[in-house]
Amino acid sequence: MKWKKTDITQYTEAKEYIDTVLIPLMPFEMESDTHLDVNAFQYEWTMLLVNELEKELTGRMMLLPPYVYRKPIIQEQELKRIDSWAKEIKKQPFNHVFFLTLDGGWKKHEEVLPGTLLWLPGMKSGDLHSADMYRFIRDQVEQMSELIQSYW
Amino acid sequence: MSDKKQQVSRRQFLNYTLTGVGGFMAAGMLAPMLRMAVDPVLKESGQGDMANVGLSVDDITTEPQKVDWKITQVDGWYESEVNRSAWVFKDENGDIQAFSPVCKHLGCVVSWGGSDEYPEQFFCPCHDGRYYKDGTNVPGTPPLQPLDVYELEVRDGILFLGDAVPREGA
Repeated sequence: MKWKKTDITQYTEAKEYIDTVLIPLMPFEMESDTHLDVNAFQYEWTMLLVNELEKELTGRMMLLPPYVYRKPIIQEQELKRIDSWAKEIKKQPFNHVFFLTLDGGWKKHEEVLPGTLLWLPGMKSGDLHSADMYRFIRDQVEQMSELIQSYW
Repeated sequence: MSDKKQQVSRRQFLNYTLTGVGGFMAAGMLAPMLRMAVDPVLKESGQGDMANVGLSVDDITTEPQKVDWKITQVDGWYESEVNRSAWVFKDENGDIQAFSPVCKHLGCVVSWGGSDEYPEQFFCPCHDGRYYKDGTNVPGTPPLQPLDVYELEVRDGILFLGDAVPREGA
């Protein structure tokens, strides 16, 4: 399920089958040009990844809009904010919450996160449309999909 | 010399030129109209086209294998590349079968032998939906329809696949 009207309509009719949400965590900062570059690239990558993942598991997992936060530090208040997101999500009958990110900063706070963190180290630049990259992302998707299934 | 010059009078000359120029202009106007009228005939159809999936018929076995290919899809006003996949194998009669991997329950991707308990079935990981090898849904599991079947064609020993077509419910 994607965050769009047709899918959500389907969701409201089949709630008992969709018990998992996936939220991409996206860092945002404007200060340095190199970080801008990396951020944008990793944003693209993450979106590609979660979209592919959603395609595999569309019948049981809903892909939510990205959670965007400001770098460089993950502060106390950020943890509070993400917690309030999780509380909001729990207003619907979801049992599994997955966060997917390329930002290693979340790893340290894994225990307090209101869900399961899927952190994977990514590249900082490259051609997302090359055949090699496609295969690489496909492999990642396959393994992530298996990992999520193991939680069900 | 002077006789020959008089063969074309001023009036005739003007007539010829005007007809010529007029005809040229008319042709200029009519040609695009004609082209537009026959355009649908000349146009390559995007949908319903068979795509080469890069698989030789000799490589197809009785064991279902997954093939992936890309097609260009025009969706609204933008064109995009869409990835498609299929489970391809030869059935007991030696006929090639190509099934869509999209589960008929809620659209997850099914895999052949995806469950250890049922190695000879298609399995959907989302809600344990299962299909027999011929694509029909196993009664008692969530899916209510058999897997969609791809239109297929063999050209020069290479497999071409078209659109996935739904089958009647079992």
